[in-house]
Order: sequence, then C-alpha cells, then structure tokens
Amino acid sequence: MTNTAGHDLPYQNMAKITIDNREIECRDGVPVLQAALEAGWDVPHYCYHPGLSVVASCRLCLMEMQLPHPKTGEMGWAPKLFPSCQTPVKDGMVVRFDSPPVEQNQKACMEYFLLNHPLDCPVCDQAGECYLQDYSYKFGEATSRMHDQKQVNPKKDIGPKTLLYSDRCVMCSRCVRFADEVAGTGELCIVNRGGRAEIDVFPGIPLDNPMQGNVVDICPVGALLDKEFLFDQRVWFLKSGDSICAGCSTGCAIRVDQNDDKVHRLKPRFNPGVNDWWMCDEGRFGWKYIHDPKRVTHPKLRRGAETETPAWESVDEIVTYRFEQQAAKHGGEKLAVLLSPMMACEEAWLLAKFFRAVAPEATIATGFVPTVEEDQFFPVGSDAENAKFVIRREKCPNRRGIELVVEHFGGNTCDFETFVTRAGEGTFEAVWAVGGYPDAWVPKPLATAMAKIELLVVQDIFENELTAEAELLLPACAWVERDGSFVNHAGLIQPFERAIGVPEGAKRDGQYLFAAAGFEGLYSGERVRELMAEEMDAFREIAEAPKKPAHQH
Amino acid sequence: MGSYEPVLLKNLGVEGSRTLEVYRQSGGYAGAEAALKMSSDEVVEEVKKANLRGRGGAGFPAGVKWTFLPKDRERTILCVNADESEPPTFANRFLMENDPHMLIEGIIIAGFATKSQVAYVYLRVEFHEQFHILQRAVDEAYEAGLLGENILDSGYGLDVYLHRGAGAYVCGEETGLIESLEGKRGWPRIKPPFPAVEGAFGLPTVVNNVETLANLPHIISRGPDWFKSIGTESSAGPKLFCVSGPVKRPGCYEGPMTITCEELIYGDDYGQGMVGNADVKAVFPGGLSMGVLTGDEMHMKMDFDDPRNFGLLGLGTAAAVVVNVETDLRDVLMNVARFYSHESCGQCTQCREGTSWMYKMASRIAMGAGRVEDLDLLEEVASKMGMMPGYSICGLPDGAAFPVRGLVQKFRSEFESYVSQQRAGRAEAVLRVLN
Repeated sequence: MTNTAGHDLPYQNMAKITIDNREIECRDGVPVLQAALEAGWDVPHYCYHPGLSVVASCRLCLMEMQLPHPKTGEMGWAPKLFPSCQTPVKDGMVVRFDSPPVEQNQKACMEYFLLNHPLDCPVCDQAGECYLQDYSYKFGEATSRMHDQKQVNPKKDIGPKTLLYSDRCVMCSRCVRFADEVAGTGELCIVNRGGRAEIDVFPGIPLDNPMQGNVVDICPVGALLDKEFLFDQRVWFLKSGDSICAGCSTGCAIRVDQNDDKVHRLKPRFNPGVNDWWMCDEGRFGWKYIHDPKRVTHPKLRRGAETETPAWESVDEIVTYRFEQQAAKHGGEKLAVLLSPMMACEEAWLLAKFFRAVAPEATIATGFVPTVEEDQFFPVGSDAENAKFVIRREKCPNRRGIELVVEHFGGNTCDFETFVTRAGEGTFEAVWAVGGYPDAWVPKPLATAMAKIELLVVQDIFENELTAEAELLLPACAWVERDGSFVNHAGLIQPFERAIGVPEGAKRDGQYLFAAAGFEGLYSGERVRELMAEEMDAFREIAEAPKKPAHQH
Repeated sequence: MGSYEPVLLKNLGVEGSRTLEVYRQSGGYAGAEAALKMSSDEVVEEVKKANLRGRGGAGFPAGVKWTFLPKDRERTILCVNADESEPPTFANRFLMENDPHMLIEGIIIAGFATKSQVAYVYLRVEFHEQFHILQRAVDEAYEAGLLGENILDSGYGLDVYLHRGAGAYVCGEETGLIESLEGKRGWPRIKPPFPAVEGAFGLPTVVNNVETLANLPHIISRGPDWFKSIGTESSAGPKLFCVSGPVKRPGCYEGPMTITCEELIYGDDYGQGMVGNADVKAVFPGGLSMGVLTGDEMHMKMDFDDPRNFGLLGLGTAAAVVVNVETDLRDVLMNVARFYSHESCGQCTQCREGTSWMYKMASRIAMGAGRVEDLDLLEEVASKMGMMPGYSICGLPDGAAFPVRGLVQKFRSEFESYVSQQRAGRAEAVLRVLN
C-alpha cells in the first residue's frame, strides 16, 4: 500500500528545516505543510489532503520562503508567496507563516470563502467541526464587506446516501479527487467555471460506490452531507470512542460517535498501512444492528419447559457446575467450545482458559467465519499489489486472533467445518457456542446436532436456531459495547475501546468470562492482554493507530 | 514610417496569399529549407542570438525556452498557441487568415529546433474560418512534402494536427492549453513540473505563440543580425500591433517596437486618428490584461520594457483598445470586470471569488449605485489577487487585477464624481434590494 504522504515508507531520510525561526526535524520530501502540521503548526488549508494528489488551489496555506538572491546569491526572503502544500521539504530550507504577507493572504482568503456562503451554521450539520468556522475565527474577520447579492449554488441530491449543498462549498475538490484517485469510480466532477463552478455528478450517474461515505469526512465544510446523519445530532453533543471496525478483516481504525449510549455515526481514524484515512460504507453504515430491539439482553436459563433469568452473579457458578458435571459424567473429551471470530482475543482467551480448567481434553474450535466471494480493491481496477483500500471477503474482525488463541492452547482443537461434522457424529455432549454475528449464521447440521446434546450454552446477540436449543443463553454484546483487541488480516493486533454501555440487563462478555475463568474484579482488555502476554509472545506488542496531527484534517 | 518594410504581413493584399504557390513565390519555405540543413542546436542558437521574445504576452525569449527541454528526451511535443482570446487582440487571426504557410514554416523550424515529432495547433473555437484556412494549408504542405515523414529529404519528420478549443480564455495559458489538449478541463497546472519537462501527455513540451513562430522563417533566412536591426536591443524584430475602438482605421498593423502608443492610434500607417477627432480618455495598450493608460500617457513606447514605467504589467499582445472622452468609464470598468469574472477558471480562491466580487461591484457602480468605498474595495481586491506572485496558479488574476486597479487608480476622481452625481441614498437602496 502506498500513500502520498509516505507514512508507510520503511525508511525515510530526515531533514532539518526552519519554520518561523524554529528548527524542526521532519521527513525529507514531504510537503512543507505536512511537516508543519506534524510539528504542531496550525496552517489553514482546505484542498490539501495527505491521501490525495496536490492541487494547490485553495491558496490558503501560502508561506514565505528564503531563496538565494538571483544576483548576489545571498539567502533572503523571496518577494513572493509559495504554496506550502506543493513545496517539498528540503534540508536547510527556511520558511515562515508568521509574516504580514502570509497573514494578510489568509485573511483575504477567509473573506473570499465566505462571500457567497449562506452562513447557515444554525442548521448545518458541520457546525462545530467546520473548518470555515474554525479558520474564520482564527484567521479571518468577523464581518464581510460584500453587500451585493450572493451567488447561490443549488442544493443537490447526488446519491442514495449523500447530499451536496453546493452553496456551502469552498471548491477544494477533495471529493472529486477522492472519487478519482481512491474509489476509482470518478462519479464527481466540476461543472461551470469561475464563481459559478460547482461540484456535480455526471448526469444519470449518482455517487454510489462502496467508499463514497469518505467524501463527507474529507469535506472540510458542510457541503457534503451524510443523509443518515442529517439533522441527527449536533456534533458538540457527541462523545467518541476509538474503536476498530468489526465489519471485515481489514481492521479499519474508527471512531464511534455516540450520545447517551446511542451510536450516531462511525468515522475512520488515520491508520497508516491499514486503512490510511478511509473506511468503506459497509462498515460505516453497518452498525444499525446494535440498536435492534430484538437483541438478546438477558441471560436465559431453561429448567424443563420453563425459562428463567438467572442473576448475573450466579452465571459463573452455573456454567462451572454444569460443565464439570458433564466432564465427570461423559469425560472431558466430550466438552467443546466454539470461539467466534466476532469475539475479542481477550474474551476468547478467557473462555478457552475456563474450558481447559474444567477439562484439559476439551476441544477448542474456531467458530463460523462469514465470507463473501472476493475482496474488493480500491481504486476500482487495482489489485492486491497497488490497492489503496481493500474491503475483505472475510466479514468478521478476528479470525486470526481466534486462531492465535486456539493454537496457543493446543491439544484438542479443530476448525468450524470439522466441529460441525464431528458434532453430527455425536462426539460432544456439552458445548459452549459463541455467535455474535449481525446476520443469521447457524448452519442446519449444527443446529440439528446441538439439539441432541445434553448441555448447550449459547452466547449470541440475536435469537436463532441455536439459541432455541440452548439450556443457557448468554447475551453477547456488540463490539462498540466491549473492549479488547482484534487481529486483522495481516496479523496486526489492534486494541479497541468501549464506546457505549451495554443494553439494560446485559453484561459485557469480557466481564462474565473473566469471572468464569476465575479472575476477580473488573475486566479490561488491557488487563487481560497483560496476563496473555505472559504466555503468548504475540501479545507483548500491539499496534495502536498513531494520533493524527492536531490541525490536520 | 514609410521606410518600414513589412515582414510578417508582406503578402497582405496579394491575391492567393493563402496558397503554397504564392507563398513560395515570395521566398516561402526557404527558411525551413535552410534550417533543415543546419543542426537543431544551431537553429536554437540562431533564434537565441536574434533575441526573439515570445509574442504571446509574457515576452520570454523563445530560444531560451527551448533550452529548458531535457537533453536526453526521446520525444517532444510542440504546441502552437492559437487560442488568441485576449480582448482587442486579433494579430494571430490576421496572420493565419492571410498567410497560413508562414505559420506552418515557423512550425517546421520550431519543430526541428526542439526535435518534436508532432505539433498541435490549439485554435480557439471561434476560429471557424481560420481553422479551415489553416487546414487547407496544412493539407497542401503535406502534399508538397513539407510535412509528414522526411521533410524536404532532410530525414526529419513532423506531423501537424489542428485542435480546436471549447471557448475558454484560460486555455491560452500554456498549461491550461495542455490540459485542454489532453481532453481535460482547461485548468492551469501547478508548476513544477514545467511543461518543458513534463507537458502534454507527460512528454517534454514547448508552447509557442503563432506570431512568435511566424518570425522564425525570417530569422533563419535573413539572419539574427537583420532581425536585431529592427526595433531595439531588448525588443527586436517586427511586431504586429492591433488597434481598435473609435479610431478611424482600426486593424492589425506591422511595425518596429519603437513606435509609441500615440503613433499606433494617430499614425498614418496605423490607426489614423480618432473618429470625429474626439480626444482619447483611456487606452488599454497591450490587450485588456496589461492595464490602462490615460490620455496623457500615450507617449509610452510599445516595447517590452516601457509599459512597466506606466504601471502596466507588460507589453502583452500589443493590441490597443482606445476609449474616447464620450465613453462612460463605469461601463468600461464593468465590461473589464465581467470578462475576467466570466473567464476565471475557478481553481484558485483569490481569482474565483475576487473576479466575481469585482464584477458585482463594477456592475452596481455602472447602474448608478456605487459607493466611494467600493472604489477602495476594488483596489484592495485587485491587489490581493494578482499583485504579488504566488497568489495563484496562473497569471490570469494578474490580468484581471491590472486593468481594474489601473482604472480605479488612474481615474479615481472621475469615478468619484460619478458617485457624487448619483441620487443620494441610491447605493444604499439598491443594496437593500439586493439583500
């Protein structure tokens, strides 16, 4: 994978440059703007985005630079301004952003950007995270001197998920470049010229590609709007949790924006080499199931024809007692656990630990791995070698993590298909099966086999053919309600935070597994990872997405 | 000026001047023949010696421009800029209409000097007739073995294609032209890379103006010293001047760059004075974009250097449009501002927003609802978009800024008197309606 800012280059020369009289060390050859942002400067910019080609058209990031005098060769400030986004860093260069010409240009630009802007912040979704607001406040003036009629460009429906209010647009062309360069679908274009120029789709071809949600993220103003989030929530009410997308095995770093334990949107986080700045629509909009009223929220214990809701405090006793009873009755090899790739590594480790404590011969099996036919590469038409983004065929976040755990415990292990076959042969009498998938997943042979065994504990998020047979049903929580780590397709162990609380009646999977595995106190992914690291080398190092520079957007 | 012997317009008025036969009779293609016997570097050297400065507006020495091409290049593209869109300018059109073969000969010489295999002539879309004239001449040249493979048995081959634009001023900017030629939106490119290194279709590219190329046959056949004997040291060679507006004889004329703006308007060989002997109020001497002169500044020399002494951007296209005393300058201002607002490509903020803001103010002033502070604002906006290099990707905002700022600065008292003659409160009333 490559990206224009070169974040993923294995080795990069460093250079020393001077910005505003301060010497900094930065990567050689990156745009001066990028270096300045990374060193903490707030340089205003709209068109520049590290993941897109440079067009240098917003003219907001202009700087002064020292050049040798054409006649004397002496270094001095050149009598012109340079776009810092287009000027690569060279060792020894001297630039400044704190000079009057630079500041005057920023002020003039900010006035220009607002000339024809409707100033409708009170009804704009972007308000609160809008770079027209922020930059006007910091670099611009409070009043406009244009009293003539504004050019009003239309509001347009450009696709099934996205609106374009072109009256708010600053013509940075980020969205056009995204559609061309990252999605590779090129639905967006610029029509008309000069002050009447506006972004548009080609006639009859809506913006409808699997990556299109990103145009809303990279729009620095309120021009591109997500229809689902439209008027949904003022952004200043949102609180965020850093998470990892559970939609496929790519493992995109995401941010979960929530208020009052209700998720309102997901946004990608910068994660070089994994998802860079992007995420797909499948992940972005695929979280709705977590607020589904049909979710399993209480543990259910069947006693004969009756079901009851056991107290959470008694669950670990119940499971320990029942499985020990089965082990004593049929022998430990009749016990099995099915670890779902929707689980975090920590949860899988705790559950496996519980099982091996009850019966060392118990089988630990990898759970069902939902897949589609093939990976989707972006830009469209690229391949695994040169793709900038991949939506993977494996529609679960943690197959590799589960495999790590299964491999670590060793002994009797098997994969899902073998498990189903052997279950059909009547190999097992007591099984703990974990689901947690947003969609129906239970293969018929599995349900049939499980109907015949003596003890079935199912941990799942929705009721299905398997939960119907369960003696004990435990609610599985959605990943945004839990914390832990997922191992992505490339073997990267990435931690994720809990963003919202669990539904009423439910308990975090990690917490009851923690208790079942014999630990006391509160579960936290980090705490369990420390325990795991003692026996599994892989967990000594985890990959956390780096923080994006504060003023980069 | 009777002593001036026309070079570029030598065949003007000669019957059949568009045909190869007539062109050859007056020594046509001798320059190309001579050039093809030299080496490419020798041709470049001759042109450098002649100090042929680009006639498109910027005045950059053509021979020096060619030396920016990378030495180890395998392919080169020659673009001929015939997107003559600068207001009051029609010299290229005149040349192509009357003597298309002179351009083709120039293309052959430039193509050979730059080792180009292909030349694209980018014609503005409005040149319908000129397109056909030039195409006929190109066909003739192919038939006569002057284009295509192995030109005049020299071993050098060149293909010429005519490409028609889609009607944008900004495509006269060399990288805008290249983008448009590639079939893209005519947006000027950010530099570097410069076209000489990576231009059309990613190949080293040279963009030359029609008139620049038309000079080449004469430089080769008559020598750089002859060329430098015309005009001055830094403004050498013959030049086409256009004059338009209420003059007695508007048109395109040839002369040395020693004449003054006044001569261009009043000279017997040029405009022959004003219609009705009216006084001149203002002149835009180099196309609109270079800025404006007052009636008292007409002694300015029409060369590459003197315009700067009068607050102009440069010589530009040396096409003067004259405004007489009866003209309302508010209409002039509005027309100027409208043009740039209409033609701004929309990439850079300063130009996109600045030109349309200036037009809004100028049109309000023209409808008799101006304010004195509008004049200050016009001046400020103009200064913020083109007066300091680096504000924008291309030079268009400079071109928009100079005439507007020039008009407001040089004719400030006149604009103020317009405002003071308006009905009191009219500007405020109009602004209330607009909002």
